[in-house]
Amino acid sequence: MDPEPNNTTANGTGNPKDESTLKVPSKDPKKKDDKKDEDLSEEDLALKQQLELYVERAQDADPGLQKVALESMRQEIRTSTSSMTSVPKPLKFLRPHYGTLKSYYETMPDSDLKKLLADILSVLALTMSAEGDRESLKYRLLGSEGDIGSWGHEYVRNLAGEIAQEYAKRVNEEATVDDLIELVEQIVAFHMKHNAEPEAVDLLMEVEFLDLLVKHVDKTNYKRTCLYLTSSARYLPGPDDISVLDIAYTIYKQFEEYPSALQIALYLDNMQHVKQIFTSCPDILRKKQFCYILARQGISFELDEEMCADDEDREALQEIINNTKLSEGYLTLARDIEVMEPKSPEDIYKAHLLDGRASAGASVDSARQNLAATFVNAFVNAGFGQDKLMTITSETSSGGSSSWLFKNKDHGKASAAASLGMIDLWDVDTGLAQLDKYFHSNDNHVIAGALLGVGIVNCGIKNDCDPALALLADYLDKEDSSIRIGAITGLGFAYAGTQNEQIRDKLTPILGDQKAPLEVIAFTAIALGLVYVGSCNEEVAQAIIFALMDRSESDLGEPLTRLLPLGLGLLYLGKQDSVEATAEVSKTFNEKIRKYCDMTLLSCAFAGTGNVLKVQHFLGQCAQHFEKGESFQGPAVLGIAMVAMAEELGLDMAIRSLEHLLQYGEQNIRKAVPLALGLLCISNPKVHVMDTLSRLSHDADTEVAMAAVISLGLIGAGTNNARIAGMLRNLSSYYYKEANLLFCVRIAQGFVHMGKGLMTLAPYHSERFLLSPTALAGLVVLLHACLDMKAIILGKYHYVLYFVVLAMQPRMLLTVDENLKPLSVPVRVGQAVDVVGQAGRPKTITGFQTHSTPVLLAAGDRAELATEKYLPLSPILEGFVILKENPDYREEA
Amino acid sequence: MGSLIDIFLIWSPYYHCPFLQATNKTQTHNNIHIFIHSSFSRSIASTIKNLTLIMPTVSVKWQKELYPAVEIDTTQPPYVFKCQLYDLTGVPPERQKIMVKGGILKDDSDWSKLGLKEGQKLMMVGTADEIVKAPEKGTVFVEDLPEEEQVVAVGHSAGLYNLGNTCYMNSTMQCLHSVPELKSALIEYPQSGRSNDLDQSSHLLTVATRDLFNELDKNVKPVAPMQFWMVLRKKYPQFGQLHNGSFMQQDAEECWTQILYTLSQALRSPSTSVNLDAVKELFGIDLVSRVHCAESGEESIETESVYSLKCHISQEVNHLHEGLKHGLKSELEKASPSLGRSAVYVKDSHINGLPKYLTIQFVRFFWKRESNQKAKILRKVDYPLELDIFDLCSDDLRKKLEAPRQMLRDEDGRKAGLKLKEKEKSSASADNDVKMSDAEGPSIGGGESSKATLVEGAASDKNAQLTGVYDLVAVLTHKGRSADSGHYVAWVKQENGKWIQFDDDNPIPQREEDITKLSGGGDWHMAYICMYKARTYPM
Repeated sequence: MDPEPNNTTANGTGNPKDESTLKVPSKDPKKKDDKKDEDLSEEDLALKQQLELYVERAQDADPGLQKVALESMRQEIRTSTSSMTSVPKPLKFLRPHYGTLKSYYETMPDSDLKKLLADILSVLALTMSAEGDRESLKYRLLGSEGDIGSWGHEYVRNLAGEIAQEYAKRVNEEATVDDLIELVEQIVAFHMKHNAEPEAVDLLMEVEFLDLLVKHVDKTNYKRTCLYLTSSARYLPGPDDISVLDIAYTIYKQFEEYPSALQIALYLDNMQHVKQIFTSCPDILRKKQFCYILARQGISFELDEEMCADDEDREALQEIINNTKLSEGYLTLARDIEVMEPKSPEDIYKAHLLDGRASAGASVDSARQNLAATFVNAFVNAGFGQDKLMTITSETSSGGSSSWLFKNKDHGKASAAASLGMIDLWDVDTGLAQLDKYFHSNDNHVIAGALLGVGIVNCGIKNDCDPALALLADYLDKEDSSIRIGAITGLGFAYAGTQNEQIRDKLTPILGDQKAPLEVIAFTAIALGLVYVGSCNEEVAQAIIFALMDRSESDLGEPLTRLLPLGLGLLYLGKQDSVEATAEVSKTFNEKIRKYCDMTLLSCAFAGTGNVLKVQHFLGQCAQHFEKGESFQGPAVLGIAMVAMAEELGLDMAIRSLEHLLQYGEQNIRKAVPLALGLLCISNPKVHVMDTLSRLSHDADTEVAMAAVISLGLIGAGTNNARIAGMLRNLSSYYYKEANLLFCVRIAQGFVHMGKGLMTLAPYHSERFLLSPTALAGLVVLLHACLDMKAIILGKYHYVLYFVVLAMQPRMLLTVDENLKPLSVPVRVGQAVDVVGQAGRPKTITGFQTHSTPVLLAAGDRAELATEKYLPLSPILEGFVILKENPDYREEA
Repeated sequence: MGSLIDIFLIWSPYYHCPFLQATNKTQTHNNIHIFIHSSFSRSIASTIKNLTLIMPTVSVKWQKELYPAVEIDTTQPPYVFKCQLYDLTGVPPERQKIMVKGGILKDDSDWSKLGLKEGQKLMMVGTADEIVKAPEKGTVFVEDLPEEEQVVAVGHSAGLYNLGNTCYMNSTMQCLHSVPELKSALIEYPQSGRSNDLDQSSHLLTVATRDLFNELDKNVKPVAPMQFWMVLRKKYPQFGQLHNGSFMQQDAEECWTQILYTLSQALRSPSTSVNLDAVKELFGIDLVSRVHCAESGEESIETESVYSLKCHISQEVNHLHEGLKHGLKSELEKASPSLGRSAVYVKDSHINGLPKYLTIQFVRFFWKRESNQKAKILRKVDYPLELDIFDLCSDDLRKKLEAPRQMLRDEDGRKAGLKLKEKEKSSASADNDVKMSDAEGPSIGGGESSKATLVEGAASDKNAQLTGVYDLVAVLTHKGRSADSGHYVAWVKQENGKWIQFDDDNPIPQREEDITKLSGGGDWHMAYICMYKARTYPM
C-alpha cells in the first residue's frame, strides 16, 4: 500500500495544478475544504486515511500498537522528505493532527515512545509551528537524538536556523547552550559531508563556535570551506573576522596548504604565524615560494636558524625576501615583451597626432616643461636602466647627461638627479654607481636629488650592507634643508616598512630640533611614518605629536604642515582601534589642525578595512558646509576611498557616494573627489570612472581639473590604456597655454605609460586579498600632497611625485624553475570569476587567452597553468611563481 | 720580545685562561713574528684563526662585480685598504665609499671597532666618472625671460583686446602686422619730422600703427590698442559712428583700405630718395586695361595701380581664380566721343606689375536696397594655399616672369625627385638643342626684367625675382550675415609656418588644412580678404 515517495511528490505537484484550474472562481472556504477531499486521487486518499489511522493508533493505550503506529508514521515522513519542491504529502495530511499529537505528547509518560513522538513532532513543526516558536528545535531536543540527516536537508536547514535564534536568546539570558552545541555538531558534520560548507560555517559563526570546523574538514572540502571563510571575513565586524581567518589559517596549515596559510598570516599581519609556516614546512623549494610572497607584500622579515637550518639555503631565501632579484625578473619580462628600447617624453606626448594644435616646438627651454619631461622620462623608463635623457651620456662622452640635468631649474635639478634612481629602480648596484658622481656636485639641489635617488633605487630592496643608510646618514644634519629633505625622504623610501631602529634614532631628534625648518620636520614625519608604517610605535608617535604641538600658529597654516598628521596616521595604517589613544591626544591640538588631524588619523587607521560605519562617518563630515578655510574635508573624502577600497562591493558604493559629493560638496570637497576616485580605481581603468574624471578634467575650477587629470593618470597607471592616453593627449592641446594644468597632464601621461605599461600601482595583490602597507602609504602621501597641488607639486616639492615608487610593482606572472631560472610555460589568462560558495570545481576564469610566461596581468585578471607538466607552488599565479615538475605527467603521444 | 711571549702563551695549553685572553686583544696592534715550534703543531689551526683577526680576508662588491679574497691589513689605516681597492677598481680612494656597519668607512676609522669578520662581504660605491659640473652657460628658461623675449618662445605674437565692436580693426591690424617689410618701413618712419604734405592725423595714425606693431611684438599677453583706436577714429570719423551708445561694427575691407592709403601717404617720404612708396612697393598692383567699345570700335589703353584684386562672386564662380578673371573684366558705360553719346565699353584688365604681397578681396557684400544694408553672399569660393596668377598677367609681364618661373620649376623638380628628372633628361636628350635655343629667349628677357626691377627701386629685394606664384599668409574672415554685423577674425601664418587664429585677444593655433576650409558656403567664418606672399627666386 505504501506508495513510492517519488510518486507521491509527483502527484503532489500535479494535483494542485488541477485544482487551481478548476477553482478559479473562488467559493467560500468551507466548500473548498470539502471539495478538496473529494478531489484527492485514490492513492492520496488512501495515504490520508492511513495517516489518520496512525494518528489515532498513536494515542492508543497499548504501547505496542503505539509503537507500530509511530514507526509507520516516521517511515512515511522519512521516505517523502527527499524533495522539497512542495510540502510532502504525509506532512500535508498530518497538518490537521499536529495539535492533537502535541497535546497527546504532553500527557504521555516519559518513555522511548514519547521520544519517538517528539521526533515526529519536530519534523511536523517544520511546516506547522508558528514563526519564532522554534518548536522543531524544542521537540528535537526532547527527542531521541537519532541521525539528523535521515529527515532530509530541509529539516536540517530549518533546525540550523532555529538554533541560531535560540542561541542568541539563550546567550542573552545567560542560559546554558550545551545541548544546542551538541546538536550543532551533528548538523555541521552533516553539512560538511554534503557539500554544504557555507551553511556549516554560517551556523558555527552564529553560535560562535568555529573551532568545531577544524574537526570536520577533510581533503575534499577544506578548500571550499577556507575560501568561504576568507571571503566572508571581509564582511564581518571585528574581532570576528580575525577569529574566522585564524580558523582558515589553522585549516590550511593542517592540510599543508602553506602558501594560502601564509597569505592569511600576512593578512592578519601575524609574524608568529609566518614563522610557524616556515618551521612546519620542510621543503626548501616551497619556502622559496613563501619568500616570494613575503617579498611582494613588502615587509621585512629575518629568517633564523629555526626556520631554515642550512646557512646557504637561508641566505638564498633571505635574498628572495630582500627582493634582490626583482630587477632581474622585471627585465626578463621586458625583454620577453620587447620593450627594452628606451622611450623619450616625446614618444609619450605623441605631439604629431595633434599637429597644429600643439604649441610650436619652442626654441627656448621651459623649466616647467623640462621638469615634466624629467618626470615622464623617469616614470616611463622606470627600472629599465636606460633612457634617452639622463643615462645617455655614458656612451657619448661628457656633456649630455649633465646637460639635461642642468636644463632643470633650481629644485628641478633635485628631481632630475633623483630620476636616475627611478630609471635604475631596484637595481641597487647600477643605480648607486650612476648616482655616485652627483654626490660630488657643488650644487645643493643636485646632491639632494642624488640622495633621494639612492632611496628610490633601494625602495623595497634590502641589502646586507645597508648602503642607503651608510650613504644618507651623513647628510641628515647638513645645513641646507633641501639636502636634508633629500636624505630624510631617501631613508624613508629605502627603509619603508622595516621598522629599522637605527633610522628612528637618527630621525626622531630632527623632529624635536627647534631650529629645523618646517619643511624638514614635515618630511621627517613622513619618513618615520613610512619606516614604521602600521607599527603603532609609541616612541615615534610621541615624537611626531610633540613636533605638532611645538608648531607655531603661523606654521600650522603652512601647506606642508599637513604632512605631520599624515606621518602620525601612517603609523596606524590599517590598525583600526589601536589609534584611539593617539586620536584622543590629537583632540588637544591647536584648533587649526585638530579636525584635520582627526580625519587623517581615522582614515589611515581604517584604511583597507571596508568598515561601513567609518565610511558613513566620513560622509557625514563631508555633508557639513563651512565658510572658506576649512581643510579637513579633503582627508575625509580621501578617507572614504581608503576605507572602501578593501572590497569590490564597498568600492562601487563609494564611487556612487563620491558622485553625490561632487554634486553637493563645497570646493574643498570637490577637489578631493577625483583623487579619491583615483585611489579607488588605481591602475584599474574602469570606464565609468574614466568618464567621470574626463568630465572633471574640464571643470571650471582649476584645482578640480588638476586633480582629475592626475587621477586619470593614476587609474591608468602602468596600463598604457589607449583611451586614457587619447584623453590626455587631447587635454594637452586643450590646456597648452596653462602651464600648471599642462604640467599635470604630462605627469598623468607619465603615469599611464609607467614602466612602458608593465607596472601597477595597486596596493592590493594576490587576487586582491593582501594589502601592501608601504604601497598604500606611498599613495596616500602623494594624494595628500595633491590636496594642495599649487603649493606642493606645482611648487618646489614636486619630488613628492616620487612617492609612487613605494607602490610600483611589475604586474607580471613570471614562472621560474626549481633553480629560480625563468621558465616559459603556457598559461591561460582571463577575467577572474568569483567561485565562493560554489560546489564542485567551477571555472575560475572566463574569456581567457593562452600566452606563454612571462605574461602581463591586468587588474581583475587571473592566470592558470595550461599545462599539466608542471605544478605551481603557489595557488595564486602572480609575481614570481616556482614550478615543480609534475611527477604524474605523461607526455601525450 | 714581548710579542713573542704572547704568541708563545697563546699556543700554550693555557690558552683559555682569562688572563691570556686579555693579552690576546692587545696583540692586534703589534707586529707579529710567528714562531712555530714542532711541539705546538696541533695548535696551528687556532693560529690561523688568530691571524685572520689581524689580516681578515673579505670580499668586496663593487657595482656588478665581486672581488673575492681581498686581504685587509688591520694594522694600517683604512686608507691603505682603499688604495688596494683603487688597484682593483680604478676608483680613486677619495671617491670610494665603503659600507661597513653603521656607516661609511672613514680614512681614519679604527678597524678594531668595526668588528670585521672573516669572509665578510663589503660593498663599495664609487665611480671614476667625471664629476658633473654645471655648464658654463646656464640654460635660459622661458619663465625667467622678460616678456618680449617670451614671444619668440611662444611662437606667435599677442592678441588684441576688443574695445567694443573693434574686431574688424583688430583682424585688419593682425593681418598687416604679419608683413615684416611693412614693419621695417614703419620703423624708419621719423617720429617727429612729418613732411609738409601730410596732415597731422595721418602722421599720428602712422605713428600709432608703428607703436601698435611694436607692442604686439613685445607682448605675450593681449594688447589693448587704445591709442591706435583713438587716432583711427580721428582720422576717419566714420569708424566712430555710434549706435545705441556704442561703436558700430564696420566693414573690415574699408578699414584695411583706409589704413593702407594713409600709410602709403605717410611712407612716401621724399626725403628718402630710394624708397618712393613703401606701401605701393609692397601691395601695389599695376593693371593695364584695354577699354574697348564694341559699338564704335574705339579702343584705348589705361593703366592704373590698385592695392587689391577683387574676386567677383557670381553663379559661375566656384574658385578664386575664376572670380579674379571676372573681376578683371568689367563693362562700363561712358560717353563715347565718336558716337556722341554714352555707350557700353568693355574693360579688359591685365596685371602688369606684381607686388610682394598680393591682396585679394572677395566681393561678398553688396548693397541691398530693400533691407538697406550690406548683404552677404554666402557662396563657397575655394582658394588655394598656393596661387599662380600667371594667366592674369599681361604679355609683357609674362615674358618677364618666364625665366624665374622656369628656375622655380626646376628647383621644385629637383626637390620632388631627382629620378624623375634623370629619366626626362635621357629621353629628352635627343631634342636638347631645341630646348637650349628655347631657353635662351626668356633668359634674356629675365635679365632685362631684373635690371628693370633694380631701376624701379626696391632696395628691399635686390635680386629676388617674382615668379607669379604666391603663398597664402593671412586670411581675414567674416562670420555673420552682413558686413556691419557679425565677427571678423584674422588667420595669420607665423614665421615658423604655424597658423594662428587671432580671435581678438585670443590667439588659437590652427592646422593648415583648416585654413582652406574658410571658403564659405555656410555660417562658419569665411574668407573676406586674403593676403598672398610672392614666392621669389633669387637670381
